[in-house]
Amino acid sequence: MLKKLLILAIVSGVLAAVAALVYQKVYIEVQGVGFEDILSLKKIFAACVGGNIVAAIGYFLLSKVLKGHTEAVFNLLFALLTFAALYYPIRFTLPLDAEMPELFPGLAIPMLFFPALGWMTLKPLFAKNI
Amino acid sequence: MKRLVIFSGTLLLVAAVFAFNIAATPWKIGEKYNIGFSSNEVGGIFKVFKGTINFDEANPAASNFDVTVDVASIQTGNALQNKHAKSDEWFDAAKYPVIHYTSKKIVKAGAGYQVTGDLEIHGVKKEFTIPFSFVKKGAGATFAGTFNVNRNDFHIGKPGGDVADVIKVEIAVPVTK
Repeated sequence: MLKKLLILAIVSGVLAAVAALVYQKVYIEVQGVGFEDILSLKKIFAACVGGNIVAAIGYFLLSKVLKGHTEAVFNLLFALLTFAALYYPIRFTLPLDAEMPELFPGLAIPMLFFPALGWMTLKPLFAKNI
Repeated sequence: MKRLVIFSGTLLLVAAVFAFNIAATPWKIGEKYNIGFSSNEVGGIFKVFKGTINFDEANPAASNFDVTVDVASIQTGNALQNKHAKSDEWFDAAKYPVIHYTSKKIVKAGAGYQVTGDLEIHGVKKEFTIPFSFVKKGAGATFAGTFNVNRNDFHIGKPGGDVADVIKVEIAVPVTK
C-alpha cells in the first residue's frame, strides 16, 4: 500500500509541478514578473513532490488508525493544511531588490493548491484500491 | 580713473577668493545608494533618494546637504508590510510624501564628520545630528553613516507594539563630481 501511495505521490507531485510551471509562464506573460529566483524549477519540483510524499506517508499512517474513513478525513486534512499554508506566501519576505513584491502572493498562492489538486485528481484513477 | 580700475580689480579678486573659499564642491548622487533601515521586526530600504550635496572635506563649515527620501519607495520585501508602512498608521505617504533633511552645520568629528540639521518626517520637523564618513575613491567618493531614529519622536506608528521604537538607519551614498 505504501509503495502505491508513494508512486501516486511522485506522479501527482510531478503533475502539480508541471502545472505550477505552466502557471508561472502564464503569469510572466500577463504580469511581467515570475520571481524565478525564489520559485525556481528545482524548488517547485522539490516542494510539490516532497509535499505529496509527506501526504502519502500521512495517508498511510491515517489508514492504520481510521481504517474505512481514511479518504474523507485525509482529504479534509489535506485541504485544511493547504489552506493554512497560505500564510507562508503572504508573510514571505522577498529580497529587497525584487521588483513588484505585491505580485508575489498572486503567483505563489494558487501554486500551493496544485499538489492537493494533483493528488485528488489522480487518486481515483491511479490507486483505486488503496 | 587708473586708481578706480585698480580698486575695482582688487575688489573683484578679493570677492573671487572669498567666493572660492565659501562654495563647497557640488557632488552628484550616484545610482547605487543605499538608504536602509532595520529593527527587531522589520527592515528594508527606500529606493528613491534625491537632493543636492555640496561638500568640501577641507572646509566642512561651507558644506551643505538638502536631501529627500521618497516615502512611497519604501521596500521591505513584503507587499503587505509595504502597504502597511505607507498607510496613515505609519508614514502616511499620501499626506507626507517625503522625508526631508536640510543641513545647518557640518563639522569635523574624530575621523569623520557630523551634520546637524532639520529632519522632517511625517510632518514633524526636529533638529537631528547625523555622524558620517566621507571616503574618496578615484574621481568619486562615498558618504556613509549609521544612526538611530526614535519613531515616536516623529509620531510614526503607535509607541511600543511589535516594531521597536528605535530604528537603525544605515546610509551609503556614492557620489561623483
